Amino acid sequence: MSVQKPADFEEFWSNVLKELAGIPIAPELEPIPMRSTEFADMYGVLVTSIGPYRLYGYLSIPKGGGPFPAIYFAPGNSSVLQMIPQGTANAIRSRYLTFSIACRGMRNSDKPYTAMYPGQLTEGLDSAKNYVYRGIVADTVRGMDFLASWPEVNEDKILVSGSDNALLVAALHDAVTHVIAVPSYLFDTLKQAAGTSSYPLEEFSDYLRLYPDRADDVASILEFYNLRWHAPAITAESLLMADHRSGIYNPDTLADLEGAITGNVTVHESERSSFKDGIFTEEWITEKLIGKNAAPIIPEHWQLHH
Amino acid sequence: MAVDKKYRSKVIKPLDFDQFWDDVLSDAEAIDLNCSVEKDDLRSTEEIDVYEIFYDSLDNVRVSAWYAVPLGFDGKLPAIVSLPGYQSDPPIPKDWAAKGYACISVNPRGKVRSRTQFDPGYPGLLTYGIVDRNTYSYRGFFVDAWRSVDFLLNREEVDDSRIGAVGGSQGGGLTITTSAMRKEIRAASVSAPYLCGYMDSIQLTHTYPYQEINDYLRRYPERKEDVTKTLAYFDSISFADRIECPIIVNVGLQDNVCPPETGYALFDLIGSKDKTFYEYDGHGHESGRYIHGAVIDEFFNKHLKGAD
Repeated sequence: MSVQKPADFEEFWSNVLKELAGIPIAPELEPIPMRSTEFADMYGVLVTSIGPYRLYGYLSIPKGGGPFPAIYFAPGNSSVLQMIPQGTANAIRSRYLTFSIACRGMRNSDKPYTAMYPGQLTEGLDSAKNYVYRGIVADTVRGMDFLASWPEVNEDKILVSGSDNALLVAALHDAVTHVIAVPSYLFDTLKQAAGTSSYPLEEFSDYLRLYPDRADDVASILEFYNLRWHAPAITAESLLMADHRSGIYNPDTLADLEGAITGNVTVHESERSSFKDGIFTEEWITEKLIGKNAAPIIPEHWQLHH
Repeated sequence: MAVDKKYRSKVIKPLDFDQFWDDVLSDAEAIDLNCSVEKDDLRSTEEIDVYEIFYDSLDNVRVSAWYAVPLGFDGKLPAIVSLPGYQSDPPIPKDWAAKGYACISVNPRGKVRSRTQFDPGYPGLLTYGIVDRNTYSYRGFFVDAWRSVDFLLNREEVDDSRIGAVGGSQGGGLTITTSAMRKEIRAASVSAPYLCGYMDSIQLTHTYPYQEINDYLRRYPERKEDVTKTLAYFDSISFADRIECPIIVNVGLQDNVCPPETGYALFDLIGSKDKTFYEYDGHGHESGRYIHGAVIDEFFNKHLKGAD
């Protein structure tokens, strides 16, 4: 299955960003006392994306004076918006300013559109104009617009973490200095979907099984989102968390992506242990945002072997 | 610090535990299941039919689920109840159907597709109504999971003597409660159990989702006694002695979400004589999934398909 960069790729994304720039962020912040601690304050945040569409996010700010290194948890392909990822030591909020946002359709940003999971990835896939992912990318970029505008953020240390959307925002927003990504469905999507029956890639196979006549159009639309074409615009220092050798997005599959990213890239092959992969990630974040000699803030049960 | 494998939970099973749940079940039984079953052509394949189903549960909450059935089988099928994690979206269980099981994957109240009548959100579900056992979110949530067994019992293609339950994290906790309360479950596989030693876990770890309880008690410290009292009715450890079916439990010793200590405490109290514990050193909340998957397959092959 061949892949081809759309002739109007740059124009397409330029138009999205122009449309977004024409819409004020219009942030509204509300303290959340229940999630605030002695070391960090939590806020619920509303911002506006294209549509216009109102989005909800969680902003955690360390106590004390900034500027703080920042971590942006880009929206993933699931219904739940997390403040920080499950299993992360809550104490990271004492060191980093963190922000997460629900793209349209996710819980907390589901009015008027409520996405289904699975379902989100093929919503409106009958045309480039209707495909929901155009708005989702805009939402992800809008989250970075908000974070980058926050006065207590250290603009030299803004890390985005997530799956494919993390790489898209790193390509489309120049405020990103570091990125950690787990590519899961937007690199050569249909080619990879053909080799698995697991979701989320199976969503695309489901769609084409029911609508085989749309295969060419779907392939064309997805090329606008193919990380392969976005990679050259990524100048941030990048950590790609690859699948284990036997998985779909293993280091071999991602070799072209690795090679196309402009910034420095590290590829880490999954050790099939959330503990080992998690430690690697936390150490990388700490080194890049705090310094080589700093200790990562990790959960109690990871400290046993660290 | 090393994992204390002889850890004993502080949870005390309430004296009226059985009465409480008998009353809840009695309330639930008065509600007709009122199933709807609709084939989902988008998700079905040449080998597997997928259905979106709905049924009524406690408080007349309408609950959704995915149901996947392999095509071209002879006789009746063994079946699996697949129970979901806390924040993840319940999967379409085509993988189980591909292995020859009819499988229901439940979306209890508040999850995607089951949010219309009850939706405390995330974070939120873990502490919703937590000061009273009759208002606590999991009172209905548990029943939603248990009633999936009733759905299977009504299916012609399912052999009701060969039903198993499986889940990890919250799904592990739900597998414990389901196999404790529904004797139709003939084999159970529990990974990295959540909803297990709640009040122990909030001291052993400081990560979400358990952190939700610490957040709550920081805000309402005077309610700690009521919270402790409520949670004792919903702790997997309180259900454990009711389990009679063959069961396997696995934990990762570096689990940063569900402290492995609580897994040991749970296992010790499981009533079944046919129980096996697997610990995976060097593994976190995924609890050795890539190794343990084969163990789970073999376990259900033996207990639900009669393989040696």
